[in-house]
Formats: sequence, C-alpha cells, structure tokens
Amino acid sequence: MKYLGLTMTELHELYVAGKATPLDVINEVIAALEKDQNNILEKTMYEKARAAAASLTKVEEDNVLWGIPFLVKDNLTTKGVETTGSSNILNGFVPLCNAEVIEKLVAAKAIPVAKTTLDEFGMGGRGETGHKGTTYNPYGKERTRIVGGSSSGSASGVASGYVPFAVGSDTGDSIRKPASFAGLVGFKPTWGAISRFGLYAFMPTLDHVGFFTRSVGEARVLFEKTSGYDKKDATSMARTLQKEAGMATLKGKRIAVLEPLFALMKNKLLINEFNTLVEQLRQEGAVVDFVPFDKDILAAIFPTYFILSCAEASISTANLTGIGFGNKKDGESYEEIVANTRGQGFSSRIKHRLMLGQYALKKENRQKYYDRAQKARRLIVEAVDQVLASYDVIMLPAAPNHAPTVNKPSEPNSEIENNYMAIANFGGNPSLTLPFCLDEGLPIGINLTGKQFDDFNVLNIALKIEEITKLYNLHAGLKL
Amino acid sequence: MKYEVIIGLEIHIETKTKTKMFSSSSSLFDAPANTNVNVVDMAFPGTLPTVNKKAVKNAIMLAHALNMNIDEELHFDRKNYFYSDLPKGYQITQQRRPIGSDGYLDIFVNDTKKRIRIERIHMEEDTAKQIHLADITLIDYNRAGLPLVELVTEPDLRSGEEAMAFVEAVREIVTFLEISDGKMEEGSLRCDVNISLRPIGALKFGNKVEIKNMNSISNIGKAIEMEIMRQSALLDKGAKVESQTRRYDDSLKDTVVMRQKDEAVDYRYIPEGNILPIALSKDFIKETIVAMKELPSAKRERYFAKFKLNAHEVNILLQDKELTHYFDEAAANVSNYKMLINWIIGEFSSYLNKEGKNAKSVSLSPQNTAKLINLIDNGTISNSQARELFTHIIDTNEDPETKAKALNLVQVSDTDFILDVINEVINENLSVIDDIKAGKDRAMGFLVGQVMKKTKGKVNPALASKLMKQEIDKR
Repeated sequence: MKYLGLTMTELHELYVAGKATPLDVINEVIAALEKDQNNILEKTMYEKARAAAASLTKVEEDNVLWGIPFLVKDNLTTKGVETTGSSNILNGFVPLCNAEVIEKLVAAKAIPVAKTTLDEFGMGGRGETGHKGTTYNPYGKERTRIVGGSSSGSASGVASGYVPFAVGSDTGDSIRKPASFAGLVGFKPTWGAISRFGLYAFMPTLDHVGFFTRSVGEARVLFEKTSGYDKKDATSMARTLQKEAGMATLKGKRIAVLEPLFALMKNKLLINEFNTLVEQLRQEGAVVDFVPFDKDILAAIFPTYFILSCAEASISTANLTGIGFGNKKDGESYEEIVANTRGQGFSSRIKHRLMLGQYALKKENRQKYYDRAQKARRLIVEAVDQVLASYDVIMLPAAPNHAPTVNKPSEPNSEIENNYMAIANFGGNPSLTLPFCLDEGLPIGINLTGKQFDDFNVLNIALKIEEITKLYNLHAGLKL
Repeated sequence: MKYEVIIGLEIHIETKTKTKMFSSSSSLFDAPANTNVNVVDMAFPGTLPTVNKKAVKNAIMLAHALNMNIDEELHFDRKNYFYSDLPKGYQITQQRRPIGSDGYLDIFVNDTKKRIRIERIHMEEDTAKQIHLADITLIDYNRAGLPLVELVTEPDLRSGEEAMAFVEAVREIVTFLEISDGKMEEGSLRCDVNISLRPIGALKFGNKVEIKNMNSISNIGKAIEMEIMRQSALLDKGAKVESQTRRYDDSLKDTVVMRQKDEAVDYRYIPEGNILPIALSKDFIKETIVAMKELPSAKRERYFAKFKLNAHEVNILLQDKELTHYFDEAAANVSNYKMLINWIIGEFSSYLNKEGKNAKSVSLSPQNTAKLINLIDNGTISNSQARELFTHIIDTNEDPETKAKALNLVQVSDTDFILDVINEVINENLSVIDDIKAGKDRAMGFLVGQVMKKTKGKVNPALASKLMKQEIDKR
C-alpha cells in the first residue's frame, strides 16, 4: 500500500520524480476498492481506468491532475458507463455523454475509477436510501456509523484514502455534511460556477456540483480546473472570478458567527474547540463577531428546503417513465407502463417525497406550501446576504456532532443545527466544510459560507484555518 | 338567430429555426423518424435546455406584427402533466410572462374591418409525434422540442367567417415574415376553437366547447358552423351545453366529443430553474424588428398607393408570397404596372398552376419578365406574340428581345406594307364597307381581323385599325 492515502500533490510529485506511474497507482486503487467493506460502489470502471492509466506515459509537470484517480457520485453521467442515481428505476441506463465536470477532469487526464453510492437521486442526508442500502463511514467501529449523504460513497471513498478526491453534488448539504462526518474538505462553489450538465436534477436552482478532497488547496485546484461557462448549461457562470492578489491572509478578514445558531450546539468539546479557534483567528488579525440572526428565519430553513425540494423533485423526475429510456416495466397502456415503471423503480422513501411534493403544488395547497416556501426562500437569502454584506464569511460548525450510528435517528429538536447549511443552496453561495476537531476519534467539520462569486476568498480563509487546525490529509487509515 | 356566438382561438405556430427550441438538434421537417433527436429532446437525465435565439426573434417579430407589448425579460415555466408524447413529463412554456401581450389584429369580412384583440403570444416547445397502430404506438421524437408560438385571442370573434379570416390573416403574417410555413395540413399551424352561445343581450357566457383537429382553414369554418347548429338545437330544447373538448371529423363533416371537461386540469406550473430570466436589450428587440420582412398589410398599402392595383389584383397577389416578390422585382423595371399585373395574375400564374411550379422555382427571371412587358408596352410585339415568346423563354431565361428577333416575332409597323394589305382586304370585302357606312361598327373588327390573319398577327393591331378607318373613309 504505497500510494493510498496520498494527496494529489504527493502523487504528482511521485509521477514527476518517476517513482510511480498512473498504472501502478490505479492498480493499487482498484485492489483497495475491491476489498471495500463500506458499500461505496455502484458501477466500477476498472478496465477503462487501467487503459487510461496505461496510455499516460509522459508526465505533465504543470498539471497536478495528470494520472490522478478519482471517484464519481452516481448521479453524474459517465459516457458508456451505467449511471443509476442509486435508483432501481435507472438500472441498466447507460448515458451517451459525460457530465461536463467529468469531461473537464478527463480532459485534464485525471482518471475516473468507479461510480459511488448516494441516497436515491440525492434525496436523503444519511446515505441509507440508495438501492444498494447503507453506505458506511470508515471512521469508528467497522460498519457502525453512517457517513452522511447524499454523496455517501464519494465521501466514504476519499475518507478511506482510496483516492485523493471525488466528485459529489449538493442540493441541501449533500457534500458539506458528509465531509463533516468523514473528516474531509467538501466544497460547493457558487451556483453556476461549475456546469450542471450531466447532473441528475433534484431541484435545479439548489443543485450544485462540488468536490471532496483531503486538503483545501486541492479543492481550489479542482475548482479552477472545472469552473467556467458551458454552453450546454444556460445557468453556468459567464464571468471570470476575482482571485485575491498575493498570499492568503486572515488579516482584516471579517467572520460572522450566527449567534442563535451557535447557541444550539450542545457538544461541549465542539463548543470549546470552536471558541479556541475564534481566539486564534482573532490573534491572526481576523475580526470574528457573534452576530444576531432572526430565529424565525432559522426555523424556516428546513421546512422551506423540504417543501421546495420535494415539490421540484416531483417534477424533475417526471422524465422517468420508462418510455424513452430507463428500466421500463411493461403494461397494457402508457399509463400502466408509467405506473409500473415508477411504482417498481422508486423506493418507498422517494415516493413519499414525491407525493409530498405533489401535495404542496396542488392548486388548493400551493399558496399555503409551495408559494409560501418560495417567499421564505427569498427572506432567508436576504437575511444571509445582509450578514454577508459586512462579513467575508459566516462560520459555524458543519454539524452539531460527529457521525451518528446506523439507524439511530438524529437528536430530537435538532432540525435547525442539522440542516442550516441549505442557506448556501438557497442563495447559491460558495460554501466549504473542512475538518475541525476530533471527538472520540470521530471528525467534526466547520463550515464557511461566503458571498456569491467570492469563492476564492472563501477558499483562502479556509486555507488559513487549515493551517491553524493542522488537520490536513486526514483519512481513516491514519492512526488518530 | 336568437343567440350570440362567442369565439376565441388558440393558434399554435411552429416557427422556422435551424435547431430546436431548447436543443441543438435539427428542426428540419420531413426527416426520417427519430433522426433529429439528441439527449435533450429525449429528456435523458442530466440534460439541460438552452434557449434558441432565432425562435426568440421569430416571437418578437410576430408580437410586433400583432401590435403587442413585448416583454423585455424572458421567463420560462414548466407545465406539468404525464403523457407519452411529452419526454420530460413537463413542457417548457411561458405561463407567467408571455413574450407578447395585449395586441390586436384587424380582419376584413365583407370589406368591413373588425379589430380582434389578442391576449398573448408565448413561446413553448412541441411534443413528440405519436403514430397509433392497431396494437402499438410508435413515437417519433423529431417533433419533440420544435419551437412553437401559441397565440391566444380574446373572445372577440362572432362567426365562422370571422374566425377563418383571422386564421388566414395570421397565416399570411407568419408566412410573409418567413417565421413559419403556416401550413395547417402539415401541422405547422394548428388552431383550436373555443366556442359558446348565449341569448342575444345576455351578459353571462354560455358553457364553452373546445374544438380541435381542424387541418384546414375551411374546416375551421365548417366545424364552427356545425357546432353553432348543435349548440343552438340544444339551447332551443332548453338543454344544457356541456363543457367539452370536441374534435372535428373530416369524414363526418361534424364535431365529435373527445372528453368532458369536469374541471380545469391542474398543471402545477413552476418556474423553469434551468433557464434564468434573460434580459432582452432594447437594441436587440429593435434590430429584430428593423430586420423584419414587409408585413402583408404594408404590402397591400404599397400596392394600392404606388402601383394603383385594385383590390381584386392585390388579393390574388397576396395569396402567394413568392408571387409578390416576383411582382416587386419585375415592377422595379417597368412603367406600365397595369400591364404587368395583368400578365402576372394571367399568363404567368396560369403557367405556374398548370406546371405546379411557384414563382421562386421558375427559370425566367423577374427582370426578363419586365423586359417582355416592356416589349409589349412599346409596341415591339403584340400580346399574342408575347404569349408565344413566353413559352420559349420560360425555362431558358433567354433575353426576350434577342429571342423575339430570332423567332421573327416582331410587330410590323411599316405603313406602306400595312396599307397594301388593307386595300387588298377592302377590295375582297366591298359589301362589308357598305355595312360600315350604314353604321355597323362591328364589321370594322372583322376587317382588321382579316388583316391580322393575312399578316399572321405580325401587324400592330392598333395601327392597322387606325389606317383601316382612314382608308374606308376615303372610299
């Protein structure tokens, strides 16, 4: 096991020094994936990966992605490779093109090795609802803890040290929450920065493509390589983002902690560590303020997210009828075909969400639910923007605790602190989780959310925090 | 009749673009089934719509032609329903903010002008085409995603005639603007009729019936006529007119019920999150309007004012856009417009009809047609010579003047020669001279005809006539 647990930069140095070839690395990655016990895999792409690795013979010194293996959440299309969204309704569905983010990574000579499990179509936060069952966290006692979702397989795979990074998607906190539970950097840039072409739709205006890495610097590299305008995605970003001149610094940075949200945290270790960090940041010249925030707005986040995402998911998935593609179940009429395909293809949890979504959109209900939730979304975004008008980032623990055990529901009355990160989806803000502390050997992350299009500022502040925490290249294989 | 007929129309216009409304696949008509299809049209997971700029321009032009307010921001929505011809399970349309609103179109029925208000036009995408066979339904996705504009009138129409005139006027506009083929028989223009009756003087509308599936303008008239009869008969009996969707059956020449409308379908519209609102700059709208082809109404005005054509001539010309282009190009090179229009709607059109050609596909250029007209106009050739010359040059586009000489088709205006022939004819018909002197003018034509006959039509008939009169007077 010479190459597992290395970062992209470390692998790159080995390639440049001629001490390893992509094929050496890929073979080791495949061997490790074959022994995986955490149920992270959907379709594997081993032969293609080996062939791609074998074709890479001349190292590109200025391309840190050259020959780097990675994992792909199975709701991003891969050309010629079955992509199911971890749902039976798309069993056997083989896309005709790569998602744009995959296209860019492959063009940079990075090597996709396997597709990873998720909560069915991204609808879930625990990594338990995919058609392959629960995906486990490599931290803690074997196969006892969830890794979170919905990007569960991608998070677990990077935390296991199999690969240096994985592609995920984030509609509510689906990258940033598992990143917290798995001791990883999870970054979701500004909405539109990375093309969504090829991402299975959940709720378009909340959906983001992002990454799991084991360092902030590598999240930055991936962001730079994959962001930009894509003519196939009419919502992709046309502007060039402002990069900070010179070295990252905390001097003069303004950091807001939403006081009423932080007040909901109960984990003593987390509270202490957080307060210590605040002091360290202040010593480095940052301004850290505990700012007031409307409690009603906080209470509105989860219901708003749930109503909107269920409602729009019920429409985003309306293409899954079995008629033009997918895992068709026959019937006597088109109505029967659709009913059979959807009835047998979706799990009961998804049907539950889709039914709720339809209910919220019905003529007699929509004013009360969908329309009101849209208004609430605007109020939430305005409240967050108001804070960010005078601060660079909002900083908070990414989760109130470490990863829960399998089948254990989250603490009662913890809805707000467990789901607040959706604020960055409502506003399309850049938002990043990085490892922050270890509680009984289990990681908890911290989250930074910044202004739209201010991605580099968020990354730079995260980089400086990483220097303070020194939790760099964390993975479960390390003796913690 | 004791009932007032209330009619509103919903017209779907397939607009001309190279690619589809939201995808890059070709929108070519008539391609083999399922060849103009890509992952977006099939609604494969992960695919996204992108807006076709040309389709937007087409809609702007139509909105302008219909005197509408043009929204300076494009918004799209999803209209949600399951059907086997709808790949995404929703249709992208413009529910909240149509690109055009509050317009009107003036129509003419029996030379009376009537203004029909138009509520809105909006852009949307077409569905796939279904072919129902005995035990199987085939789906052709070529049509899925083609750009449509839907036009919705206010309920201002009061008869089948008015409805037909309105659809014809819309068809004329879209074909002259070259934004649609406007062919009802091919489905590039589709019209649904909403019709209800109420006792004259009543304020409350009667129950509305929607009629679909009319594949020609005349069928719209027939369907409305039948529906008025059906509804009147029901009302006469004191029965209730059910809210229904009916279909016009061409073989029965009547409407038949498709489904009852218990209550309006709940389409659960939501904003299309994959397309953000798009600001249309004032310049973009202005440039689009400036580049518009001439509207039929403007063309009419011009034909009346500049060329002094009459209503009959203008109406014939306006039925065929290509013919108007041909006329316009030829007219630029003649001074006798009357002679030109007679030729174009006479000799020229009957040739086109006979050969099944149109003015665009014919070889003879409008410039050479102009030369032909000028040869008649300046007396070089006669009408009958022109008709003969035409048959020689229509497919070759040879120069009329050169060809006329080569065929020896030149009018004789040599007075001495004509006089010789005239005297020959008079001498052979001395009894006729007496008739003429006795006041029978018609005999004059007979004598000129004899001259033409002897000269095989080469003599200028006006000149022959004049000289004949002089010679008879001398006797």
